[in-house]
Amino acid sequence: MDFALTEEQVMFRDQVLKFAKKEIAPRCQEHDLKAEFDWEAWRKMGEFGLLGLHFPEELGGGGADVMTSVLAAEALGEAGVDGGLTLSLGAHTYLCADTIFRHGTEEQKKRYVPRLASGEWVGCMGLTEPGAGSDAASLKTRAIRQGDAWVLNGGKIFITNGSIAQVAVIYAKTNPDAGHAGISAFIVEKGTPGFSVSRNLHKMGCRTSPTSVLSFDDCVIPAENLLGVEGNGFFMSMQTVEWDRSTLLAPFIGAVAFCLERSARYAQERVQFGRPIASFQAIRRKLADMKIFMEAARSLVYRIAWCKDQGRPVNHLEAAVAKLFMGDWSLAPANDAVNLHGGYGYCHEYDMERVFRDSRLAPIGGGTSEVQRVLISRLM
Amino acid sequence: MNFDWTKDEAELIKRVAGLWDEAALADLAALETAALETGDGSDLAALTRKQIGRLAEAGAFAVAVGPSAKAETLRWMALMENVAQASGSLLLAAESSVRLFGGLLAGWGGGPLANLLGQVVSGEAIGALALSEPGGNQPQTGGRTQGRKEGDGYRVTGTKGFVANGPMADMIAVSGQVEGKTAFFLVQPGQEGVKIGPRMATLGYNGLAVSTLDLDHAFVPADRVIGPLADDEAVRFLHTVQDLILVAASLGVMIRTHNEANAYSRTYHRGAKPIYSHQEVRFKLADTFTLMQTSQLLAYRAAWFQATGEKEAPVLIHAAKVFTAEAAEKVSSLAMQILAGRGYVMGNPVERGYREAKFAALAGTTSEVARMSIAEDVLRRFPVA
Ligand SMILES: Cc1cc2nc3c(=O)[nH]c(=O)nc-3n(C[C@H](O)[C@H](O)[C@H](O)COP(=O)(O)OP(=O)(O)OC[C@H]3O[C@@H](n4cnc5c(N)ncnc54)[C@H](O)[C@@H]3O)c2cc1C
Ligand SMILES: Cc1cc2nc3c(=O)[nH]c(=O)nc-3n(C[C@H](O)[C@H](O)[C@H](O)COP(=O)(O)OP(=O)(O)OC[C@H]3O[C@@H](n4cnc5c(N)ncnc54)[C@H](O)[C@@H]3O)c2cc1C
Repeated sequence: MDFALTEEQVMFRDQVLKFAKKEIAPRCQEHDLKAEFDWEAWRKMGEFGLLGLHFPEELGGGGADVMTSVLAAEALGEAGVDGGLTLSLGAHTYLCADTIFRHGTEEQKKRYVPRLASGEWVGCMGLTEPGAGSDAASLKTRAIRQGDAWVLNGGKIFITNGSIAQVAVIYAKTNPDAGHAGISAFIVEKGTPGFSVSRNLHKMGCRTSPTSVLSFDDCVIPAENLLGVEGNGFFMSMQTVEWDRSTLLAPFIGAVAFCLERSARYAQERVQFGRPIASFQAIRRKLADMKIFMEAARSLVYRIAWCKDQGRPVNHLEAAVAKLFMGDWSLAPANDAVNLHGGYGYCHEYDMERVFRDSRLAPIGGGTSEVQRVLISRLM
Repeated sequence: MNFDWTKDEAELIKRVAGLWDEAALADLAALETAALETGDGSDLAALTRKQIGRLAEAGAFAVAVGPSAKAETLRWMALMENVAQASGSLLLAAESSVRLFGGLLAGWGGGPLANLLGQVVSGEAIGALALSEPGGNQPQTGGRTQGRKEGDGYRVTGTKGFVANGPMADMIAVSGQVEGKTAFFLVQPGQEGVKIGPRMATLGYNGLAVSTLDLDHAFVPADRVIGPLADDEAVRFLHTVQDLILVAASLGVMIRTHNEANAYSRTYHRGAKPIYSHQEVRFKLADTFTLMQTSQLLAYRAAWFQATGEKEAPVLIHAAKVFTAEAAEKVSSLAMQILAGRGYVMGNPVERGYREAKFAALAGTTSEVARMSIAEDVLRRFPVA
């Protein structure tokens, strides 16, 4: 057993941290307040190569390993980049683009991956429906083959990037009688007649990331837009879970590192009762707990990344453990960071309340904590 | 990065795991209720010596004894986890003798003590370390015990509040000071001026013999004295070793209590179904499993930091100690909830683990002191901008 990062991994993480602190983080508060996607930040992240880190260079990617991608995602959080932007990145790169990269035909890969990796196009992934959340396989959106085309009917909800995406990977039933094996994945481009985004949802956190309601109303797409093998969709969506448990969790760890740094500095600056509040053990305890959580979470998430880098199928039990721990244990450090800042912590200028709101997604998105408990108790 | 054990690591772990056959487990169970010394081979001293001897034979003490073997900390952690799973009492007894007492000899003991180190590592002799004192948690120096030079040795006076293995040790290393510098005095039971208190009754780890120790002008010849030392490196080393042992003890508690509750939930029926079928039960097991795995990984990572000399190793070890100790309390408590009345009755692994769990949080570097030390480091790293 060995927990060493390579020199390149450490160097790249530090570069991302520096870049994000300077170029991205200072923009986040304003966009969060307006609940607005930050196109300028997106463009900059694309230029830096953050939107397609792990794709091969010939497809416009950075050729990085999964561990590097995790470290980069963690560094974004640590720099103070808001959870909305990192969520948009996660849905775009890992849930949408990677699914095309892994299962697409050569033409599909060539058409979509380079445009997504550069950030020229935004991608989204639509699995969840109003009636199918935790029980995703019960989805109702229907795809029917008609000659050289597929016709989609149905609706999706909670779709990250839905309103800004040029490309959507959509899961639909091709054979309603075949259960899990009756689900297939499709690529739907923006502007396809019958495909519309009815609205974006107002959320408590991750506000810079649009969360959309999608409708498919006799939406006709060419037959070649089937992604992967017909009937394989559910399996494909479960593969993205591996990313969900590594690169999508990493920003939450980074966010705690951000809270820790901010809180430590603030505690030494803020004077009450004639001394810096850092001199109170109750304040120090909070700092210690943030650090302890961070170190505990790192090992779990790094293990998933390492597994993927070894080319091993991710152990679903380990993945669920990582997700449950991040989901249920990451709220306390963000909560502590708010309290440590007192009234300022409750106000927008000090970032902590934003981190607190953003981290509330951890036990919900990509599979709730309860669902992780179902999985863990079944697999252990 | 590599989350698999290497071949060597895996073999060592397997060898130690292989020790816990039915007879050994029966011995370890007996340890928990055994009287100290009855002389018939079934007493605590005899049972402990026997199992420590078997561990030695399996090669468990061939690694990580003393500061120069720090690079082996990770495989040591894996070994300890394995022993702790079989018996926390045995873990504490064996490690107090070998990695605390023996570790001190290996790092700071001179030539004449080499023989003693050999006996400890082979399981022939049992050692103990008396560091902490009443009214002073974990001294960063030798403590208030004083040694005064007299002829070819020292007269030593002082009191130690808790000494694991005290009532059965062949030799006890007692920390103290000589003219303001840390020194360790090696004393023997029965020696004049050395008073080992009666075995204490404790909440948990009932298979471990603990006592007080009073030294009243005990004479210790110079060749039984380590120091006076130029710095407190030895004390720091021993605190770290103590904390790592307690991390492993917590892992042991979690593995035993989780496994017991998990197995129980699948065989014990209420109504027509095993209680596992209820989410209220099953989800508790998901939590105990999550805490256990998270603890294991954090423990390994902290051990790896120590092994590789990473700058943050002390912080990681304190983090691992706090986290695993609190996780063990939580896990054993949830496990007892699942066994309910059957868990509450004395004599099952869950009630035993429940009683043992508390120890790791209050012994060694206490959770409070560990948290303050972590915070100290954080504040240093992030000064006012
Ligand atoms: C900001 C945001 C972004 C998202 N982005 C995307 C996206 O890009 N693409 C996408 O497809 N989806 C996305 N989602 C959807 C997300 O994955 C779902 O919200 C999540 O899976 C839960 O589904 P649900 O909201 O329908 O809750 P439900 O499944 O209705 O759950 C309601 C409650 O019941 C509990 N529950 C459900 N089943 C069980 C059970 N068996 N045992 C015990 N308790 C149970 C749940 O844990 C929860 O507490 C996003 C959600 C949010 C909030
Ligand atoms: C069964 C058993 C076996 C033991 N075996 C050994 C052994 O073999 N060798 C050995 O050397 N020791 C041994 N010990 C001692 C053990 O390591 C100590 O109990 C431990 O170091 C704590 O010291 P204390 O009990 O004196 O607590 P105290 O130091 O008196 O602490 C009391 C409380 O105050 C808190 N506290 C103290 N200082 C601070 C601070 N600065 N800030 C915040 N809170 C603080 C503590 O965390 C604790 O909650 C053993 C103890 C037991 C119970």
